[in-house]
Amino acid sequence: MTTQMTRVRPAAPPERRRRARTRTANVAGVGRPGFLWAAPATLFFAAFAVVPLLMVVVLSFMSWDGIGDPEFTGLDNWRRVLDDPVMIKSIWLSLLLTGLGVAIQTPLSILLGVWAAGNQKNRAVLSAIYFVPLLLSATAVAVVWGALLDPNFGVPAEATWLFGDGNLYGEQASAIGVLAFVSTWQFTPFHTLIYQGAARAVPPVLYQAAEVDGAGRYRQFFHITLPQLRNAMITSMILMVVGGLTTFETVLILTQGGPGTDTTISAYYMYERAFRSFDYGAGAAIALVLVLAATLISLVMVRLSGYDKMRSTTEGL
Amino acid sequence: MRRRPNHLAGAGSLVWLFLIGLPLYVMVSATLKSQSEFAQDGPLALPDDFTLDNYTGAFDTGFGRYFLNTLLVTVCVVGIVLLLVPPLSYAIVRSRGRVTTGVFRLFLLGLAIPLQAVIVPMFYLISEAGLYDNLVGVILPTAAFCLPVSALILSGTMRDISRELFEAMAMDGATPRRVFFQLVLPLSRGGLSTIVVFSALQAWNGFLFPLVLTQSDSSKVITLGLYNFKTERGIDAPGLLAAVVLSMIPVLLVYLFARRALVQGLMGVGGK
Amino acid sequence: MKTRRRMPRILAGGVALGLALTLAGCGDDGGSASGENEFTVLVYGDATNEVEKKLVAEFNKTSEVKARLDTIPGADYQQKLQTIISTPQAPDVFFHWGGGSIKPFVDADLLLPLDDFVKKDPGLKDNFLPSVFDASVVDGKAYGIPMRGTQPVLLFHNKKVLDEAGVQPPETWDDLLAAVEELKDAGVTPIALGGGDMWPTQMWFQYLYDRIAGPELFQQALDGDKEAWESEDSRKALGMIRELVDAGAFGDTYDSVKFTNNGSAQLVASGKAGFELMGSWYYSTQQSLNEEFAAEDLGYSAFPAVDGGKGDPANLAGNTNNYYSVMKKAEHPEAIAEFLKLMYSDTFVKDQLSIGNLPTTTNTADFLDQAASPEYSTYQYDLVAEAPHFQLSWDQAYPQSAATDMHKAVQQFFNGGLDADGFISAMQALPTS
Repeated sequence: MTTQMTRVRPAAPPERRRRARTRTANVAGVGRPGFLWAAPATLFFAAFAVVPLLMVVVLSFMSWDGIGDPEFTGLDNWRRVLDDPVMIKSIWLSLLLTGLGVAIQTPLSILLGVWAAGNQKNRAVLSAIYFVPLLLSATAVAVVWGALLDPNFGVPAEATWLFGDGNLYGEQASAIGVLAFVSTWQFTPFHTLIYQGAARAVPPVLYQAAEVDGAGRYRQFFHITLPQLRNAMITSMILMVVGGLTTFETVLILTQGGPGTDTTISAYYMYERAFRSFDYGAGAAIALVLVLAATLISLVMVRLSGYDKMRSTTEGL
Repeated sequence: MRRRPNHLAGAGSLVWLFLIGLPLYVMVSATLKSQSEFAQDGPLALPDDFTLDNYTGAFDTGFGRYFLNTLLVTVCVVGIVLLLVPPLSYAIVRSRGRVTTGVFRLFLLGLAIPLQAVIVPMFYLISEAGLYDNLVGVILPTAAFCLPVSALILSGTMRDISRELFEAMAMDGATPRRVFFQLVLPLSRGGLSTIVVFSALQAWNGFLFPLVLTQSDSSKVITLGLYNFKTERGIDAPGLLAAVVLSMIPVLLVYLFARRALVQGLMGVGGK
Repeated sequence: MKTRRRMPRILAGGVALGLALTLAGCGDDGGSASGENEFTVLVYGDATNEVEKKLVAEFNKTSEVKARLDTIPGADYQQKLQTIISTPQAPDVFFHWGGGSIKPFVDADLLLPLDDFVKKDPGLKDNFLPSVFDASVVDGKAYGIPMRGTQPVLLFHNKKVLDEAGVQPPETWDDLLAAVEELKDAGVTPIALGGGDMWPTQMWFQYLYDRIAGPELFQQALDGDKEAWESEDSRKALGMIRELVDAGAFGDTYDSVKFTNNGSAQLVASGKAGFELMGSWYYSTQQSLNEEFAAEDLGYSAFPAVDGGKGDPANLAGNTNNYYSVMKKAEHPEAIAEFLKLMYSDTFVKDQLSIGNLPTTTNTADFLDQAASPEYSTYQYDLVAEAPHFQLSWDQAYPQSAATDMHKAVQQFFNGGLDADGFISAMQALPTS
């Protein structure tokens, strides 16, 4: 598989060019690209993501601890996973955290993105700072937030009016709050970047026209900027939903699924089953549940928003 | 029209600056403290006696070698993404075929594949290909997992190019190739710089693929090197954070550069 | 427009890069299966690697077959090992914790029994403390050679805090309960606990069970006798833990405190807490955080005795040692045998001692004066040498696959999420070897 890929990839560009030319002959005047434009990326992706995923599907019907030969056990893993109360709980927790993430991060990153899209110098400097959390690896996030949230030496000790005794990881509600907050801290910058790019692309004519009509700043925001950000919003929300469902690092470094199993979201549970308990079959089944759920949700979002129709926000200008 | 200062937005951005800045302050100030000072005075205190030992210490642990490896991985991953995604997104946005709709769905599905889920099969694939403990074996899957997000972002940007422009070019008898290079690419710079930043970050901070797919010291990347700072019981926070700060600088530069490209690109559009 | 012309160039650059990449891939044929005259040694990545690197360099100077040392970031060592162990990429020699951690590899017939090595050089067995060597014996065959240091768990304290509260290091459980009250009255958290990491919590269980029931109960449970958890002694141990927690010995926030970010160690060093139960590495942790405190005010004692308990108060718990095991597929067993002999050499012992580790060779005693802190090393060495039983940490004695669920049960019993019955059934549900 892999050797095949390495051959295809460098050969792709010249071939694409040739095909593009023959395409032109067929559809002269229309100028639409054919499937071949998508082929190199699709093949590459198939080799390194779809093939392993298919192997995961096979693995989900097997019992394997990583040593020796896997054995087919039919639906056993699936039955175990779907009967497991921790699994059911983890799905709800995943949905809760994802929902919280979308609800907090969307308005925040829209505001920040639109704000940062302005051309003022100070905004350029500030948005460079805002961007930094994105650069941190999980290890760094663990160290910094570990020190900051320590009940005895961190912020909770200084601000007892807000944090009480500071036992943030001792109760479910506060542990979830910490996870939602740190995810927001870490991932808002990326979504801000998406909105920033989109806000810049809003044609200035629209604002000039609104200005002439005497529309104030807030009316401009709600009537021009927001509608113009529709595609960016869908992109960003799909990424948030999928990202939220598959996040596990934040949980791994902050709560390890605790207290007890109170923050064990599905993606972390999969990791635990596969890599801590070396039950790869069950891990594979959980992973597939996640992949299916995330794909379904994003397909529904795409369908409802008409994103898959070739609709541009600038249509009708 | 935007001259009037917006006090509300200003205040809001300051609150956010505080939330973002506090941890960053903790991080940078920690790197200037000794381990005992960091532990005794707490994370919030200002450094008393400045020390750069943490930074020199980071270099002593073979950081330079890891740095070069990571750079190579990042450049290659960004290269592959830039090579594959623009034509892909162009096809997704402009092609009318059933097949490309299917392709789009495939990538939506790909979006949802957690890395941890495929890591074991990936190990077997890469081993079979003879790429184990070879940086190429890290680059290929890392790039592949950048594709879905990149494709989604870039397609979003390309969708915003107005139909009239395409029609105008088609009237001129432009081939898809000319449309791609003369219209689509220049107008997608915002999206392109976002995917450059995104894939550079994925490659730079990638941990799981290098962990499982490499082994010897000569093919270690920074994230793995960072972990050697961290022992299971106890941790040298200032030393670790100094290495983190060092490893952040290149990506920050990429961001600043990409951002400038973004601004320029849009000014180009405005000037038309 | 300028911008339009620049884009194709970026793409062209990308193409060139892709080509270069493929070429690079062809030129460098990867795979880490050891080369012709080489064997691979895989170790857990941390501060001790320094000594291991030196040792490998030493070995390679004289040996025709070379050793290659690969380090894997500590926290992910086990995951990585499990992934590669049954593939051609597996190392020839690898690091582990003994006990349950290699049982599955032995069952899968991956490991080389070292009895032949020992036959040829009895020193490979005789030069190590027997209790330590035996912790890596599986089904009557030796599979591991001790290669780092032993790490018993001790009860550490802040001398100043104890003095001010008028408390002595406890010799019995009742002393400890009394000390908890005194310390609470003095306004400090009696015992610091990194409950967020979960494994520190477990240390309390493994010691109390040993003191009350002796090592036999746990061994029984480990051998698959689930009834052991329901025994009277088990319930008694749980009752005593409950009593200690409910007395407020650990304060309210232990679930949010971690040892791994130095939170709990700092509680003791800053005088906000009196005691902490932790492995012997605690001394060097405190040293790196606060040298003055470690030198002057850090005290240590053995885990208190329990009146009427069946276990010997001299019993220890913790990490017996780490071990090197050899894969069956290894191509150079003779060279590896030579390499393993270095684990009881004088240089090795001295180097380990100098970075604060305590090797478990019989000649360690001769070099104790060269340790990083001789007094502390001597104290530990005597404890280990005299201990009738050294209980390997529960999470390492059980198969690796049990660790997560065990940690959860332990955490939940502490914070009231599980009662005694809940804890017992959680422990009964763990997979045993």
